[in-house]
Amino acid sequence: MNELIPLMVIVPLMAALLISAFSRFNTVTKIFAFVVAICLPIIPIASNYGLHYFGGYEPMLDNVTNVMFHPAITYSFTFLQQIFIAMVGLLTFLVIFIYLTEYKEVSGPYLFLLFLGTAAVTAMLLTDDIFHMFVFFEILALAQVGIVAASSISYSNEMALKYMILGSIGSPMMLLGIGFLLAMTGSVNITDIAAAVHNGLVDITSPVFLMSLALIFFGWLYASGLPPFHTIKSGIYSKAEPHGAALLQSFTVISMISIVLVMFRIYSTLPIFEVLIVFFSILAMILGVSLALTQTDFRRMIGFLAVGELGFIGLGIGLGTQYSITAGLFQALNEITITALLFIGFGAIVNATNEVDTRKLGGLLAYHPKVSIMLLIGGLAMAGVPPLSGFQSKLMLVQASLSCGYPEISILAIVVSIATFVVFVKTYYSMFLKPKPEDLDVEHKEVPRAMIFAMGILLIIVIAFGVYPDVVTDGIANFVGGIL
Amino acid sequence: MKLYDQIFDIVKQFKKLFAPGPVTNADVSGIVTAEIFLIVSLVLSAILLRHVSVLLAGLVTLILTIVLISNIPLIPKFKIEQDDSLEKMLFYAIVTLAILGVFLYWGGNLV
Repeated sequence: MNELIPLMVIVPLMAALLISAFSRFNTVTKIFAFVVAICLPIIPIASNYGLHYFGGYEPMLDNVTNVMFHPAITYSFTFLQQIFIAMVGLLTFLVIFIYLTEYKEVSGPYLFLLFLGTAAVTAMLLTDDIFHMFVFFEILALAQVGIVAASSISYSNEMALKYMILGSIGSPMMLLGIGFLLAMTGSVNITDIAAAVHNGLVDITSPVFLMSLALIFFGWLYASGLPPFHTIKSGIYSKAEPHGAALLQSFTVISMISIVLVMFRIYSTLPIFEVLIVFFSILAMILGVSLALTQTDFRRMIGFLAVGELGFIGLGIGLGTQYSITAGLFQALNEITITALLFIGFGAIVNATNEVDTRKLGGLLAYHPKVSIMLLIGGLAMAGVPPLSGFQSKLMLVQASLSCGYPEISILAIVVSIATFVVFVKTYYSMFLKPKPEDLDVEHKEVPRAMIFAMGILLIIVIAFGVYPDVVTDGIANFVGGIL
Repeated sequence: MKLYDQIFDIVKQFKKLFAPGPVTNADVSGIVTAEIFLIVSLVLSAILLRHVSVLLAGLVTLILTIVLISNIPLIPKFKIEQDDSLEKMLFYAIVTLAILGVFLYWGGNLV
């Protein structure tokens, strides 16, 4: 069944190309997009764990040095890849389902971008080739720009252009860093590079090696939306269509963890590497949440909260123990579901009121009780209220930082969670609980059923992971044990 | 009364952040929380320096606390620096890249 491993990338990629080419056949496009979207979460669940060597070039053993070399582009599929690819596949399905039911005439190029982004993040998770990862990182950046630019929200084009301009700094720096690594090790295979570094074949104090870390790290900051890219990242979330933003944030989280795990395998011997990750993660938490507290546009508010939550993921990985990395990766999985739930739920409110300013909203609990309750649970999960999934991952992070001897980080994580709770309560009160302003025109139309369905599915996952975290954390811990 | 006037002046400054719209109680509460959160979290982060040197951590924490409290309100200044201006985003991106590069290249024993 290992033939299914490359299909996880090929299926969405081919679907993107075919939909783009035949988009004038509206009904066929809709049916085809729906069928492919259903397949996306099924393929990783049906596939066995293992490796796939493109071109069939299996690893070679050098009998002199007794080192294994990987000549092919290799895809590695383990529990971690399975759970994240299945999750992003499910989210892509939900987003495409919402989009297909929302519009009678669908846009082929927009569906192309959604499938292309999914294919790119899947490849980034699977690949064991750093240049291959960079190529899909670039494709992902372009797909993200396209998804934002295709939105009907004002200034979306401007925000997309700004993201692209900033990407023109982040991406070449990352490529240059990869070039330095290639120059030092003669390989772009991550396993080979890590083996060369850990076996002492590369001088880790060499300025070229250190510069490669600086450059790849900078590219990672751009991909993850950590400071100094937190403003643009929250900006693109707020300017994309709500379902598009739900998918965009999952792309960000997955590109963040796939690049940081690669960096971890190569640079973990340098103590400064973990310090840098912790520093930027703390900065993201502080900046993200404090700016979220000052927002009146609720889409921007969730955008900043999403950036703040990325800090928790980085923190877990930066602490560098098996438990903390497991906690960070579990937090990543939770963030994908919770933030998607919030973006879709608040999108339903935009749909009903055409208003995003919390000062002009109010009394919506009476109009949309189902959405408001689901949003309330989603917000509580993000703030880390038990027994929801966010609580489990944040508790693990607090315990991990305490056991590493950093009680300050534990206190900071708790303070950030409290501030996140304040942000959510403030926004929830402004939108749902305070009296409805007289000039607010609430359209008496139902929230699309597809949105309620998507929120319901995500909510079930949030509660299930909260009650049974071991279902996921055991598998992630095994994976982490393998890379440490 | 002096402290009350000082705090009231700060709240008046928040108004500018929300111009031209109205300022609600929830918004002011949010900004005050952000102000306190910012000071607390930065001071907490400074305590982490104890892993490098306890004396350094003590000094930095003390100086940071005094600087932050004497400069309140921080959020209006802070928010202006974090707006959607491309120039500011580019500036901070390039400054970060330069610091990362310089620190790792010439960091010596610190790296």
